Amino acid sequence: MGGGVLLRERRREDALKLTISHLTISFGTHRVLHDIGLNVAAGEFVCILGASGCGKSTLFNAVSGLLEIDSGRVLLEEEDIAGKPGRVGYMLQKDLLLPWRTALDNIVLGASLRRGANAADRARAGELASHYGLGAYLHHYPRALSGGMRQRVALMRTIVAGHEVMLLDEPFAALDSLTRFTMQRWLLEVWSEMKRTIVFVTHDIDEALVLADRIVVMLPNPGRIGRIITVDLERPREIACMASPAFMELKSQALALLYASAGASR
Amino acid sequence: MRHPIVEQTFFWVAAMLLILVVWQAAVVAFQIPAFVIPRPAAVMEMLFGNGSMILKLMWQTLKETLGGYVIGAAVGFLLAVGMSQIPLLGRLLYPALVTSQAVPIVGIAAPLVIIFGFGMTPKLIIVAWIVFFPVVVNVMDGLAQVDPDQVNLARVLGGTRLRTFLIVKLPACIGPLFSGLKIGATYAVTGAVIGEWTASSRMGLGTFLLSANAQMNTSGVYAAMLLMTLIGVGSFVLLLVIEYLATPWRHRS
Repeated sequence: MGGGVLLRERRREDALKLTISHLTISFGTHRVLHDIGLNVAAGEFVCILGASGCGKSTLFNAVSGLLEIDSGRVLLEEEDIAGKPGRVGYMLQKDLLLPWRTALDNIVLGASLRRGANAADRARAGELASHYGLGAYLHHYPRALSGGMRQRVALMRTIVAGHEVMLLDEPFAALDSLTRFTMQRWLLEVWSEMKRTIVFVTHDIDEALVLADRIVVMLPNPGRIGRIITVDLERPREIACMASPAFMELKSQALALLYASAGASR
Repeated sequence: MRHPIVEQTFFWVAAMLLILVVWQAAVVAFQIPAFVIPRPAAVMEMLFGNGSMILKLMWQTLKETLGGYVIGAAVGFLLAVGMSQIPLLGRLLYPALVTSQAVPIVGIAAPLVIIFGFGMTPKLIIVAWIVFFPVVVNVMDGLAQVDPDQVNLARVLGGTRLRTFLIVKLPACIGPLFSGLKIGATYAVTGAVIGEWTASSRMGLGTFLLSANAQMNTSGVYAAMLLMTLIGVGSFVLLLVIEYLATPWRHRS
């Protein structure tokens, strides 16, 4: 509970971290994203919720700088980062661990790719990873790790890369529901202690409600923002919270938006 | 607990013994005269009876094979890297490489002798000529098949071009590289022998095979054949071991 109050205070004090305005992207004549505008505060956890094909991954590719944008702006604080990869952290859907590097070597991949990882990088990363329960796995190759453990390593790699804003694209989509639940707790713990700003794509309403401060509901054809729902549920959100009237109320709001769009596109 | 290398060795030795047994049985059963097909026992006698001469011959052929192999593999690897990094170079060279393999290897040997004489050089070039091709093709395929998302991840992490190549792309083509090297290993001896046939100043197994054949020394022909095979199989097995040691992530947790 204390953590939640603290976070909300921090958010009020800090300026905007990530600003997306009038972002539009087309592939040929097909418009994939239309006039996206979104402000994310420092330390905020924003979930982007939408059916598959509504341009969520395209949005992340644009914000991460991998994809050129047609028009609009993407600002990290004051700096325009459109088309400049390497400014925000981005965890793609697949874990993308390199099979020939141990878990620890995968975690320090960012430093290795920029300038070569040194002993201090390894020590710091090892300490952090151990703190979050990966200590026993650091010297194993990814092949030997379970799906959940691989995702933790991938997430730790994203964190250790050091970007204040992290984009997470359905990181838990491939996990079974019990593992996913554990991973959500784990992510919230990491987020509240590390004080990072997270934008998280999901198509799972419950997941969005458990994790987010705000949920951005995206609608398809072309991908656009339908509505932004503020999730004012107390943190930490225990299991009981998922059956509370407030949770149900928010869930039905989100469902109504998503299904209205599904009906309309048919 | 059986170690995979022990297990592999067992099957290799068993296969070799099986070939010898079938050979001996066939010669005895069909009463084939020794000047047509000698018994394995007679070939062994020939081998061990002339140990030092045989070793000298084998050393000569081994030098040509290994030297050419290393040159071919290195050239092939560097070409693949260059061609995949500089697309224009790749598109320009690819047809030339394919053409190089369409020329019959015996046809290359003669001009090489005219250019380089009877020394070691033409033999090394012939072996390298055969070996580099499977290496180029496999490594290029390996580099082309690196997951684009893996490369995107490297960009997002701010990787430099060189480091991304060394850390993300290069290790991904170790498998294809060894496939190419293994194919090359079995062909390399053929190259050395053809080299010796066209341009022999020193006796190797190839030249020995020709003269034994001319003298109706059938045991000698088979002995030479057996040793050439041994070089091919030996280098293949050696590569299996190197590959195993070079890829700990495939078998260690």
